[in-house]
Amino acid sequence: MIQQSTRLLQRIAQTHLALTLGLLGCSFLLSAQAEAGEKYAVRAGIVHTLAGEAIPNGVIVIEGGRITAVGSADDVKIPWDAEVLDVPHLEAYPGFVEAHTSSGMDRPNESVSVAPFLNVRDSIDPVAFYFEDCLRSGITTVNVQQGNACIIGAVGMVVKPHGMTVEEMLVRPRAGLKISAAPKSGMSRATQAQTLRGAFTGLRLHLEDLVQQKRTGNDFSRREALYQGRDLAGERGKGRAMMSKGWTVEGLELVPRGEVDEKQEPLLDLVEGRVPAWIYCGAPMDVRLALEIASDNGFLERTILVLDDSCWKAADLIAEAGVSVVLDSTLVRTEMDPKTEEEEEVFIPGVFKDKGIPFALSSRNSTTESLWFQAAMCVAHGFTRAEALAAVTTTPANILGLEGEVGCLCPGAAGNVLLTSGDPLSVTSFVEYVVIDGNLVYDRSVDIRTQHLLEGVVPEGTESHAEEPEVEEDTRKKAGDEGGSR
Amino acid sequence: MIWTSFLHAACLTLCAPPLQDAVVVEQPQEPEAPKAQPAVAPVVPVVPAADLRLHAERVYTGTGEILKNALIEVRDGKISSVRPGRSAPEGVLQVKAVTAGMIDLSARLHSNFNSVEQSTEVQPHLDVAGSVDLHDKRFARLARTGVTTVLVNPLDRNVIGGRGVALKTHGPMEVEARRLNGRPILRGAIGSEPSAANHAAFGRPTDFYSRRPTTRMGVEWEWRKAFFDAVAAKRLPEKDFPGAEDLREALAGKRTVMIQAWTTQDIRTAVYLDEEMQREGFGDLDLVIDAGAEAWKEPGILVRNSTIVVLPPHTAGGRVGSDGAFLAWNTASLLVGEGLTVCLSAHGAGPGSATLGHQAGFAMRGGLSFDQALAAVTSAPASVLGLSERLGTVHEGMDADLALWNGRPFAATSRVTGVLIDGVIVVDPR
Repeated sequence: MIQQSTRLLQRIAQTHLALTLGLLGCSFLLSAQAEAGEKYAVRAGIVHTLAGEAIPNGVIVIEGGRITAVGSADDVKIPWDAEVLDVPHLEAYPGFVEAHTSSGMDRPNESVSVAPFLNVRDSIDPVAFYFEDCLRSGITTVNVQQGNACIIGAVGMVVKPHGMTVEEMLVRPRAGLKISAAPKSGMSRATQAQTLRGAFTGLRLHLEDLVQQKRTGNDFSRREALYQGRDLAGERGKGRAMMSKGWTVEGLELVPRGEVDEKQEPLLDLVEGRVPAWIYCGAPMDVRLALEIASDNGFLERTILVLDDSCWKAADLIAEAGVSVVLDSTLVRTEMDPKTEEEEEVFIPGVFKDKGIPFALSSRNSTTESLWFQAAMCVAHGFTRAEALAAVTTTPANILGLEGEVGCLCPGAAGNVLLTSGDPLSVTSFVEYVVIDGNLVYDRSVDIRTQHLLEGVVPEGTESHAEEPEVEEDTRKKAGDEGGSR
Repeated sequence: MIWTSFLHAACLTLCAPPLQDAVVVEQPQEPEAPKAQPAVAPVVPVVPAADLRLHAERVYTGTGEILKNALIEVRDGKISSVRPGRSAPEGVLQVKAVTAGMIDLSARLHSNFNSVEQSTEVQPHLDVAGSVDLHDKRFARLARTGVTTVLVNPLDRNVIGGRGVALKTHGPMEVEARRLNGRPILRGAIGSEPSAANHAAFGRPTDFYSRRPTTRMGVEWEWRKAFFDAVAAKRLPEKDFPGAEDLREALAGKRTVMIQAWTTQDIRTAVYLDEEMQREGFGDLDLVIDAGAEAWKEPGILVRNSTIVVLPPHTAGGRVGSDGAFLAWNTASLLVGEGLTVCLSAHGAGPGSATLGHQAGFAMRGGLSFDQALAAVTSAPASVLGLSERLGTVHEGMDADLALWNGRPFAATSRVTGVLIDGVIVVDPR
């Protein structure tokens, strides 16, 4: 315990140091945190709640980080003590939800093949540029999961792209376990499948072994737990019957949960349906293995498939299994008829829409082809605006188990609001402000990195070519160089 | 408007002579699978394309006009009439919006190392047409994104790589039959690519890359030497070399010199090269900078030299190309504001990636107006190719190369759903 908290303190200290350095370059990150009960209100030209009609001249009231009222300015009274963002020229939308990403963390793939004991918490970098870009692109909720090159990967977490520390960013700590049905580099498909099945067999043998030890009076696992300094008090000190729809181990109630090997425990949580599984499929053939593993081990209902763009061919299988999916960022796939060699394009979200499979879109990059662009692509391919927006707001929120919490502007939801200069699906619109949990966390007018990208403007004092002789005025329209990272 | 008139002026000067040898374009009745073609195309009599009519809610003509509810008639591969204010006759093809087919001057459809003769650094006499593979699926993929004409250039592994070839993205399966004989374009590069992997020969030269140049300086030297030698060879016939005449034509302004230069230092080098030729009295290059990402840093030197700029695709973080150049998103808008001609390119991106239509949208995100964006992917590249009389705008007499859109062109929420090339429906929107 002491060791752990010391490590935590060290980590916080390091993060603060990194952040202090980072803040020099990102002054637009407005870092005031609302105290519980603090009030914030937004008055916008149009409020798009995504849970009903758009409200002209609308007001959103946020108290203690949660939306308490949404409606027309005529109907909703702004509390006298609320801080007000009055932007009648802008439109309000709920923040977008990234259902699955491996960005924002240091080295997303662990080389150990079966590593459910890892947690992305230890790898998320609060000052990663990725999170800044999320705000610019209107993403306010991010599910960070280990990369796809694994067999059983780390426990992921849902965060908001704002905060000094991982703890501040936290939305949901145990957002599921990453699994891959596609072979990681150097593995054959057969080895991948065998190792995956073997991991669950290993869990079962371990649990049976613990029960056997208890029955014979052997206290090795208890001594091991105490030796490792594990917590055996409270719930952790009690045994519990195994709750699983796949398979169970008789007599597990004899074993205090704190005595279950820490390396196996997240897998037990998965089998018991306490956390969801995010299973990556790199080819249509992987879908069958993913569904087999999930259904044999009883967590099919809590499975979300993370699909490569080729996996549209397995859509029937997926529809039959009734699971939700996160689509690859490549939305259009060119397929060739092997006989005629004629090519044609398949619009992947369209396939899943037609089959009635709930799907979330994912960003291809963090700015130009972020979620707003992906949703716009759906409209270009015949989706209604509501359908396209749902795939980046309400559907990913449902998939993450955050229905009504994020992805809509409705009472009770987190106070995450985008203020856009126009239709967020338009290439000429910009996210002007972002409010997360009732805090103004992004203001484009002071976002120097966006100014750099859009206009080539370099903030004063950061040019690295200051010693170079000045070029004549008439040949140099924009002051400054771009920073000399070449 | 000043800019548009500049374009018109450019067309008038650029495209007068080559039109006589405009190619007879074969008109297949419908798109044909490449493999259906015989190995050697027989001499096919000109088959007039089936007359075609289409009705569009909006036709963006490319001359600043938007024609509402226009009926476009196509005859013999050409637009025979565009009449606004018509209702759609029964059974006629109907679309939301029509623009001219888009033109990509940097489509990068070369067949990689097969497209560039590397035995010496300067190969102005070679024609990339000899290495173009029309069976390459990328032509059809580009056509499906609404790009109807491309300029194919050699890979930039030589200092002067050779002559580029402008082609429609659909048509007969013979390069000579499909090529558009507009203004000839000589392609070369400045920057790290022409010398990439080269090294000095230490001891026994053991591989192909034991050669010069090995630096940016060396690349620049090769350019100057080539032009100097070409001029010298005119007086001293014994010094003549293959390609000398091509270089002299370039100096005489009879062919365009398109130089890839990503970074501001390379753009400078290209412009200074041109200015040096002028100072020495060798001639004046008609210069086009390709992939001029950092043109925004010093637009003044481009204005001074009336240089045309082809921009590379916009990227999420701004960094583009192997030289780590930074493309600010307002570059197109800034350069057009300075009165320069700007073309956009998607570097050959096919369906499912950021296509040329998307690049036009991204340039609008950086401040370009719709009309300017439309020009940058249609009429501006057409004028560079010297083909303004045939391509780049929608009006009577032009090639029937049309992009059919399901919404406002270049919006992220719309896309090209149909394509006509030489009056043939290559992609049917129905």
